[in-house]
Parts: sequence; C-alpha cells; structure tokens
Amino acid sequence: MAEASGQLPDGRGVRVGIDVGGTFTDFVLHDPAAGRLVFFKEPSTPDEPSRALLQGLSTLLTREGIAFDQVGALMHGTTIGLNAIIQRKGAKIGLIVSRGFRDILEIARCRMPSSFDLHADKETPLVPRDRVVELNARLNSDGSLAAAPDAAEIAALGEALRAMDLDAAALVTLNGYLDPAFEEDLAAQIAEASGLEISAAAVIWPEIREYERALVACLNAYIQPLMHRYFDGLIAGLSQMGVSAPVLVTASNGGSLSVASARARPVETVLSGPASGVMAAVRLAEAARATGDLTGQGIVTFDMGGTSSDIAIAGGATPELATRTDIGGLPLVLPVVDVSAIGAGGGSVVWVDPHGLLKVGPQSAGAAPGPVCYGRGGTAPAVTDCYLTLGYIDPAGFLGGRMQLDAPAAEAALAQIGGKLGYEGSPRDIAARTAEGALAVTTAGMASALYKTLAERGLDPRGFALMPFGGAGPTHASRLAEETGIRHVIVPPAAGTFCAQGAAGADLRRDFVRSFRLDVTPDLTAALSAAFAALEGEAALWLDAENGTTRPRRFERAADMRYHGQAYELRVRLEGDLSAGAARAAFEAEHKRIYGFADPQGRIAIGTIRLAAIGPADPLLPPKLTSGGEAAPKGHRPLWLKDRWHEAAVWRRAALAPGLSLSGPAVIEQDDTTTILLPGWSARVDEAGNLHLERLTDAA
Amino acid sequence: MQLDPVTLEILNNKVAAITEEMCLTLQRTGRTLYVKETADFACALAGADGRFFAYPRSIGVSGFVGLECAPTIAAVEAMTGPLQPGDVILTNDPYLSKGLATHLPDLHMIEPYFHEGRIVAWGWCFVHCSDVGGRVPSSISPMNTEIFQEGLRIPPVRLMRGGEMVPEVRAFLDANSRTPEANMGDIRAMLAALSAGRRRVEQVVAQHGADVLVQASTDLVALAGKKARAVIASMPEGDYSFSDYLDDDAVSDLPVRLALKMTLKDGGVCLDFTGSDPQVQAAMNIPSHGRPHSWLTLRVLALVSTLDPSVPLNAGLLNPVSIIAPEGTIVNPLLPAATGVRHAAAVRVNDLLNGAFGLALPEALPAASSGTIIPVVVTEADGRGGRNVQVVEPMIGGTGGRFGHDGVDGRDSGISNLANNPVETVEAELGVSFLSYALRPDSGGAGKWRGGAGMALTFRIEREGSFVLARGMERLKFRPWGREGGSPGAPAALIVNEGRADERRLGKIDMLPVKRGDTVTFLTPGAGGYGNPFERTPEAVLRDLRAGLVSPAAAEADYGVILHEGAVNEAATLARRAAAPAPEGRIDFGPERRNWDGVFDAALMDGFNAALLARPAGTRSSLRTAALRAALGALPEGFPRQAASAAEAKAARAALQGVMADA
Repeated sequence: MAEASGQLPDGRGVRVGIDVGGTFTDFVLHDPAAGRLVFFKEPSTPDEPSRALLQGLSTLLTREGIAFDQVGALMHGTTIGLNAIIQRKGAKIGLIVSRGFRDILEIARCRMPSSFDLHADKETPLVPRDRVVELNARLNSDGSLAAAPDAAEIAALGEALRAMDLDAAALVTLNGYLDPAFEEDLAAQIAEASGLEISAAAVIWPEIREYERALVACLNAYIQPLMHRYFDGLIAGLSQMGVSAPVLVTASNGGSLSVASARARPVETVLSGPASGVMAAVRLAEAARATGDLTGQGIVTFDMGGTSSDIAIAGGATPELATRTDIGGLPLVLPVVDVSAIGAGGGSVVWVDPHGLLKVGPQSAGAAPGPVCYGRGGTAPAVTDCYLTLGYIDPAGFLGGRMQLDAPAAEAALAQIGGKLGYEGSPRDIAARTAEGALAVTTAGMASALYKTLAERGLDPRGFALMPFGGAGPTHASRLAEETGIRHVIVPPAAGTFCAQGAAGADLRRDFVRSFRLDVTPDLTAALSAAFAALEGEAALWLDAENGTTRPRRFERAADMRYHGQAYELRVRLEGDLSAGAARAAFEAEHKRIYGFADPQGRIAIGTIRLAAIGPADPLLPPKLTSGGEAAPKGHRPLWLKDRWHEAAVWRRAALAPGLSLSGPAVIEQDDTTTILLPGWSARVDEAGNLHLERLTDAA
Repeated sequence: MQLDPVTLEILNNKVAAITEEMCLTLQRTGRTLYVKETADFACALAGADGRFFAYPRSIGVSGFVGLECAPTIAAVEAMTGPLQPGDVILTNDPYLSKGLATHLPDLHMIEPYFHEGRIVAWGWCFVHCSDVGGRVPSSISPMNTEIFQEGLRIPPVRLMRGGEMVPEVRAFLDANSRTPEANMGDIRAMLAALSAGRRRVEQVVAQHGADVLVQASTDLVALAGKKARAVIASMPEGDYSFSDYLDDDAVSDLPVRLALKMTLKDGGVCLDFTGSDPQVQAAMNIPSHGRPHSWLTLRVLALVSTLDPSVPLNAGLLNPVSIIAPEGTIVNPLLPAATGVRHAAAVRVNDLLNGAFGLALPEALPAASSGTIIPVVVTEADGRGGRNVQVVEPMIGGTGGRFGHDGVDGRDSGISNLANNPVETVEAELGVSFLSYALRPDSGGAGKWRGGAGMALTFRIEREGSFVLARGMERLKFRPWGREGGSPGAPAALIVNEGRADERRLGKIDMLPVKRGDTVTFLTPGAGGYGNPFERTPEAVLRDLRAGLVSPAAAEADYGVILHEGAVNEAATLARRAAAPAPEGRIDFGPERRNWDGVFDAALMDGFNAALLARPAGTRSSLRTAALRAALGALPEGFPRQAASAAEAKAARAALQGVMADA
C-alpha cells in the first residue's frame, strides 16, 4: 500500500493531473512544497494511449527534477471507454433479463432518433438479440419476490452463457431496483456458473426505469474488459518506471475514484474528460469569487474545440449534474457533469446552401485536412479561417508559432463563398464580410442553444460570467457574451490544459441512489433519516476503502420529488433536517424556481433518494505571476469589426500585470490561444492570472 | 425573399430555438403522463397569416406543422373584438377552430405577441390533456358516433384576458372534466410555455427589430416552400392511384375505404381523396376542412425532409400541396361527426400517400408500416372513490422494409414519435403486472428487405373492477402491405387469457371489463416487406433466425432457406428458390384484401361512393350500411378472410347495386 507520502491528498505530495486527448496528452504538475504549478503537453499515441502518458510523465518529472518515487498521486482521465461505446468496439457481452423482457434493448423507449427521415434506423443495441437470455427472476412492484431461478436453471444459464463465448455479461431484473441484494446474489450465482464477470444493474445503480438501468449495466460490462487491460498495463508501466503513487481515475461526476473502484464500475468514468475541464473552471471561479473578482450567479463554461463547442453551468462550488445524457446514441442516467453541445467548433465548415443561405457546420474539416489555412489540402473554409481573415489570430503565432497559417488561401476561399452571397468590393473586404457573417451565424446558433440550456433550468444568462477554454474558446468568447447579454468573461491562465488541471484538483466522489417511494407526510422524518443513514454508512465504507483523503468528508443529500399526477421528478437538495416540513419547503422552492409556481395543497411523493459522498482534495495553488508589466502592446494589426477594419493593439498575455487595464478593440495572445477584446469592453488581470473581460456600456 | 442570407439564417436558427425552448418549458411544467412521458404536445410560432413559420424539430409532436391558427383567431375577434396584450385564446373544437384542434382532448392555445401596439407573431401550443368529459374516461372512444359524446366542446374563446384567467371559462372547464386538477396543471404549463415564447420574441425584436422578425416569418415560409417545390419537381410527373382500407368503423364490421389519386405536375402535388368513404358513425373522421391539413399530408413532410434534410420545418413545406377532399367524407367530415381517434384513419392516410408516392419513387418509399397506434389504457378504482386512469403502453409496430434496408423493429415515428412508459413506473402506479413486452417473431413481412417486427404485450390484471381501453386498434383484418415483391406483415390480434381454458380472441374493444387474474395480450401487426424474399441473402435470414425474429419454418416457407444443423444448406436453398415463381404485382395486400377486391374492385367502389355522396348527408350512412350488408349477405361466412367464388362475387355486386337503385 502507499507510503505516507503517497497518501492523498495530504498537502505534501506532488500531484500530477493527466488528460489523454486525441492530439495531445496534457499534464499539470502541482508541487505544493515548492509552490509550483507546471503545464506540459506530449503528442498522444492513440494506438496505445499509455505510451504517451508514461513518456510524457517521465520527461516532465525529469525536467522538473522530481524523483519518481516522490510523486504523491496521479489523477488520470481517459476516453478509452467512451470511444469504445461510440464506435461500438467494446467487449462481446451478453445480457440476462427477467423472463418476458428479452427485447428490453430493442424496444428501448420506442422513439426513433428522427421523425422526418424515412431512411433512418434506430440505434444499434449494445447486445444483439441472440445474446440476450431470459431468466425466471423478478420482483413485484412492492419489492417482494415474484420469481427466482432454481439451481438447475442457473446451471443451464451458465452453460448457455459459456456457449456464447462472451467477455462479460450484464444482469437486469424487473423491479430489481427495489432490493439490490436480490441481483447481487443472483449475479454471484451466475458468475460462478458461467465464469464471467457480471455487471448487475441494481447493484451499480438501483434506480427505477428498467431500460435505462439495464443500459448502465450493459455499458459497464461493455467497457470493463478493455478498461481492465488498460489499467493493468498502466500500473505495470508506472511501477517499472518507479512510480508507486496511487492512481486516481477521474469520473463523469467531476470527482475521482481509486483504480479498484474504476475497475468495478468503469461506466462511472466514461465522460470524465469534459467533466474535468468544467471542474477546473468551477474551482477557478470559486477562488475568483473569494477574492471578489467574480460576482453574480455563477459561471457558464465555454469549451470551444475543433469540431464542436460545449457549455456547462455552475451556480456555486459544484457544476450542474445531469441524470440523462446521450452517449453514443444511448441514454445514460448516472449523474454526470452536465455538458451541452451548443454548435460549431474551429473546424466547422462555412458553406452556402443551394438556396443561398450562409451555413456553418455541422460538417467539420477536422484536424485533417483541417481549415484551408492549415495548408493540408483543405479547400472548404472553416471558422478558424474566419478568425484569420478578420485578424483575430496571427498566422505566425498559431500554437506558439509551431504552425504557420496560410492567410491568403483562407481569404481566397472565403471570398469565393462571398461571391455566391452576392457580396461586392475588394476580395479582401468580401472575404472579411463573409467571415463576419459566418461568425454571426455561428454565434447566433451558439446563443440559441445556450438560451435553451439555461431555459430548461429557469436561468437567465445575464446573471452569469462566461469562462472560455479550449483552443478557440477565448477567441470567440466575447462575441458569444455580447450576443447573450453576458457582461463578464474570465479567461483562465492555461486555457489549453484545462482538463488536466481539473484532474489534478479532483475530489474523491461517488454518487449513491436508493428507491424510497413514500409521500411527504408528518411521519416522514424517521423513514427518511433511516434511509439516508443507511446510504451514508455505505458511502463511508467506500470513502474508507479509497484510502484517500485526510480532509473532512462531506455528504450531499438530495431526493427526486414530485406532486402526485406529475410524471417527472425534480431533484431537490435536502440540507439540514429531514422533517416533512423541510422536505416540502425545499421541494416547493425548487418547483417555484423552475416552474414559476407551487401548489401548497398538492400531495408530494418522494421517489428516489440520492447521496453524494465527497472526499475533498487540497486546492491547487495558483501559479505565481512572474512576468513584469511592460505597459505597452507588442504591436498593432487590422481587425475587422462589424463592417470595417479597425487598428487594434496586440498584447502578449504574459506581459499583462495585475492592475493594468486595457480597452477594446485589442488582441491578447498567448501560446495556446488568442483572446479578442471587442470595442465597448475592457480587460484586466487579477492576482491569480485570470484575464477578466468586462462590458463597459449597456448591451444593445 | 427580402432578408439577406446571413440575417435569414440567423433568424431561422433563433425562431426554431424559441419553439424548442417553449416545448422544454411546457414539458418541465406539465403534470400529466401525456406531457411528461409520451410528449403529446407541441409549441410553435405563427406569422400574420396564422401559419407556423417556426416549429420544433427535436421535441414534441412532429406532425402538426401544417395546422392553421387564422380561423380560430378570426372566430374570437368576430365574437368579442380585437385581441389585446395578455389575451390568450383557448379552443379544442375541430369544427369551430376549422381543424386547428382535431379531437377534443387536445387543448390549443394562441397568444398574440405584441410590440409597440402591433402583433409581430403568434405563440401557439397544444397539449393532449387527460380528460374533457364525455362518455368514457379520457374522453375518446372509437365507438362514439357524434362529437357530442366526446366531451366538452370549447369554441375559440379568451381563456386569459389582460393576463388574468377568465373565471367563467375556468368554471366551465373544471365542471366538465373527470380530472380538473390535472387539466389545470397542463393549462398552467401551456401558459408558461407561451410566456417563455413571448419573452424570447421580445428579445429578438430588441436585437433585430420588429420588421426583421415579421419579414423573416414570411421569408422562412417562402424558403421552405421553394425547397419543397424543388424536391417535388424532381419526381416523375403523372397520376398515381392507391387505395387502402380500415378494418371497420368500430361500430360495425364494415371496412372503411380510403382512396387517393395523386397528381405530380410542375413541382406541385395534388392529393385527390375522391372515392373515399362518407364520414363514419364512429370517432375516426379527420376534420381537415378540405385544407392541406396535417393529418392528410404527414407523408409529404416526411418525404420532402428525407430527400432534402435542410428544409426549414414550417408551413411552407405544404405550399406545393393542394387537396381535393369532398365534404361529408371521412377525410372532410361535417358536424356532428366524431373525431376522437382520427389518428386511426390518419395512420391509413399515411399508408395511402406512402403507396401513391411509392408508385412514383419506388426506391425512396418503404412498404407499409404496421399502421396502428394503440394507447392501451387501464382504469381501476383508486381506493379513494375515484378512478385511476393510466396508459399502460402506447403500442405500435415497426416500419416497412425499404430499398436497401430492413424496416425498423418495434418503432414507428410515422404519425408521432411517442416514447413508451417504463414497465416499472406503470407497475408502481397501476394494478397490473407485465408478463411480457417484446418484439413479435414472424410478424414482419418477408422481403428481400424484411418488414419491421410488431410487438407483443401481455399483462395481468391485479385488481377487481378494472377495464381495458384500446383505441385505434387496426390491421386485424387487412394487413400492412408489402412492396415490389415483398409480403405483407402479420395482422394484429387481441387475446384474453392466452393459453388458458378460458382463452378469448377478441376483435376491437371499447371498454373491456376484466377480472383480477385475467391476462391481456396485444399483438401489433408486423410491417410489410420490400422486394422478393427469395432474393434475401441467406445470411440475413440466418441472422434473423438466430435472433429469434424468424422461425425455422418461416425461413423455409417464406424465404426458401433450407437449414441443416443450424447452418444454411446452400444447394437445397438454391434449388428451392429456383423453383419458386417470382411474386406478381408491385403491392401485395395479402389474401383478405385480394378477396375483398375480387368482389369490390376500385371502379365499383368509386362509383358506389360517388352515388352515396349524391344523396342527402343524413341518409348516406344507413344507405351504405344497407347496401354493403346486402352484398356481404351474398358472400361466404368469414369473407374477406374466406374467398368468394365468381358467382358469389357477382351476386354480391348485384345486391349492392340493387339497394342503391331502389333507394
């Protein structure tokens, strides 16, 4: 087991956050003793992701002069599971279901992905029908036993599963969520009879709705063999290198798990990449709030990458969690940091449809051939070509100057599009007007999606600050802010390695659910307290076993509640006492917030109760600002804004010291991104190195 | 079009997003199962002409994009003067709203969105509410013969006046529903959705100006029209005729005929429903008012969107469509025809258009889908003196086989893309236990590309005094047809206590009383197959066989695939297939329809319906019944499942014509 120095996180050990992306593997090293936070990138090795990880880690530690056995913890997110699900390249699995429900995955929720496409097909099920086996096993709707298999039936099932030559199997029984022990026991019997690892739905996630629960189990089984191989290889590689620190795996809920937990429930880690980025933003925002650099309701994160843009909402110290996410066309009900796609990325293609409308996306030029300006054979202009043509980015400064961009080619491609739109003038102006139009279309699309995302929660964007990251996030952020009435944009110091930074600071976290199904009546307190006490007991055991934190652990309680007659439930935080009065008040407040009304006479039912168990990690110290404040721009360049060229100052981000204030229009460059400051906006840097863009006058 | 291409694209995006935001608001605020789980609602924005220029693509009922608000607005203004800010119109009446509402449980609302004293857009939304009174719980039954049995008719009235609910209207609503509280919850959700739309429209006006919004509302419709016309212009011009039947009209066992002559010419399509039956004395009339109504044109929307996915979803899609629907027919009924299960007829209209377009574009259209949507409902005593009414499952089948692809098993978004209910939530709310909810083997029509499988649902009743309701049951007699050599799908069935001594096989039901311990089994039809099944690759047949969707017997009989020890015997298969004659004709309606057409061919029925329509409206139904009864009297018991001899057919035709001549 880990030495004292390897314990987590006690404030002494070195922590390394790692994010394996498609192009780069990012590292963030936090060394609290020396007070340093270091960012590092290593080209990814998609054929064998752990190679780049081990190579990069070795280079980084050597460069920073840290002995391999000094590393206290590795916090690591991976997309292997997600990719396997999206590409349907996971394990060969079987599914065991209650008799009569063989088609649970085929029927699903009965909806087609599109109503207006006669050629559409439904999603491909994770388990084909010939590997779904029925078993005499189910509970009644009151939790009592309806049917259980005898020994002969289990033996026959074992034989049938063996004959299928499977890697793993999943189990779901009807009403099994009411008593997870039923499936746990069954799974043990089936595992013994078949020699397979069995993912039991009610054990992993005992929530009502059999299809969604079955999917949790199937996804788990589907990626488990793959993830086991990956973790085993990684641990062996680290150990060979001499790194004995515990590995923590980041989870979709924004927290992290031990490798042992991640091996048992890999499905909890599939969406950890975007979750880590959001968590980094949330922590940064909380720090800014503490120093008075952030006021208002919270932040909207804005991650703009090559193919798409994502947002997430955080009102306080935790981001919103979603309990119905789409993953490779399948719904996932586990709590995940709620990230919504809102449209185009830097590679989204600009085109004119046959009826003359200017369109952006959904096709993407991707990394190859990429936008026209990459000079890799791309002929269709993309959003990045628009930035270049408008003067937003410097052709010589892309990726810190590692890649020269072809501005004339981008301009020519956009001018050609402008010709189709009937624009007149010099080719340069036509290209600029086209680029401006394309960015307006892009921004309007993003803004519409952002409104919808906030409207679902009854929120108004004007109370929020926007926190952009990803390569293009800071470049596009002020346009999106302007369009949505957001008046404050916070650009973090290292926008390009944000996910790794999130990983390095991840708390231990696991979510628990139980079916409760009682009405809110005066004698609720005892039952609710007992139910939460049972969950907290289970959660405490888990936290103990993770061998993690020395900081005080935290439990967050919530319940899914509804009025009788309502079919949807609201998730309501239950803080403080668990009396009927408190539960009703909490529900009514939430109902009012979301729906605008509450019904004081309405009968309220509690369906599912939820508990989040959190072992907080030490906060990351902000990097010390080292550069001095030369109060002068590095130069000027023309910037097209609205309908003409402006002369804009160009600043190096590193040259901006706290206290300095700029007004737009201006361009602020750093190695991994460029920030655009629009007219009517000012910029300043805070003590933590964040760049704040603030609107000076009222938005139109 | 007036707006520049950038502004128009921006507005296109924004207004569609507004309607989706309205839907999200409605869904989150609504309280009933129809809203929450099955998403039987929609929201949209209408322009000055009352047609929708913005409609949601990814949420809510997809097909209502062709509805028109203008007659409803005009009716209110004619009665009580111009609309003011804060007014909201409510209606559910198919006749007085001129087809905006199409059955009484659908509550429709319209709100004018003002800017500086002028209406810049109309917000619209509808919800299928739980109950508006009438003869049966949940208000709709195929057996209703007049709309007066279907519940409260709400003429277009102001529900809200200056932002306040009109108390008299509310009193009428509350007094005429079995579930007034749930209805008011849905009404509040609709008002919340309309407010959300209003706020967002105000914002667009603030950003772009009222004139730009108003211009966009006509430009976007014109754009969709132009695109739709371009798609239709690419189809081979000509006349294409097709007819299909509903099994019966629910109050008798007489089939209902739907006929179409489709003309493609100059980028337009004319749908002529002449030859369709007079309106029926059951609740399946489609109140189209002779307009290109949503329920008559869904397949056009789907086809245009399939062939050009970039078309904005708005009323312009229907610009190229004209309709001939004679008054007094099932597709354009007159008061007091009942309309509660109009979707049952609309499903068949969809088949009709699918068939006709398929004659023009054989590779673009599938074979018939299962052609039935059955919201299976159980009502039981709730133990508090009332009744618990719950949808068990909305049962559908699959989609037809397609050129190059099998149909989809157990899903069909042809009429509406409703979600089902989790078995566990139904069992938690209702005294039933599900024994099975599955795909139905051997139901999909055989074909080179197989038709989608239907579904099989069996549940056991756990409480005394329960009733089962199943509106819209269809294709028990006339099967979903196959195309281009494909076979029809298996017909539907309803069985009580299957496999027990007291097993009963039932036809359509209205309110079926059931005892505790009874099991009820719904088998929905399979969809039609596409192409000669003997050309299906043996590997595909073997795959279906291993999946359990095709039995070994069917593999051999329907596909000519001979199996040996779990593998295909290639030589025997080849020989078997070589010996089989190629299928005849482009459409295989199945034996029942062949037998029927052998007696009642298209020319005879066109003439018969023309003669009926020439009679006074009040006499048509009884005359039609008498004539068909006389004809059927000359035919063997069990016709059309049993074939008629040539002599019997001749006698039947003579009997039919005799009744008409005497009348």
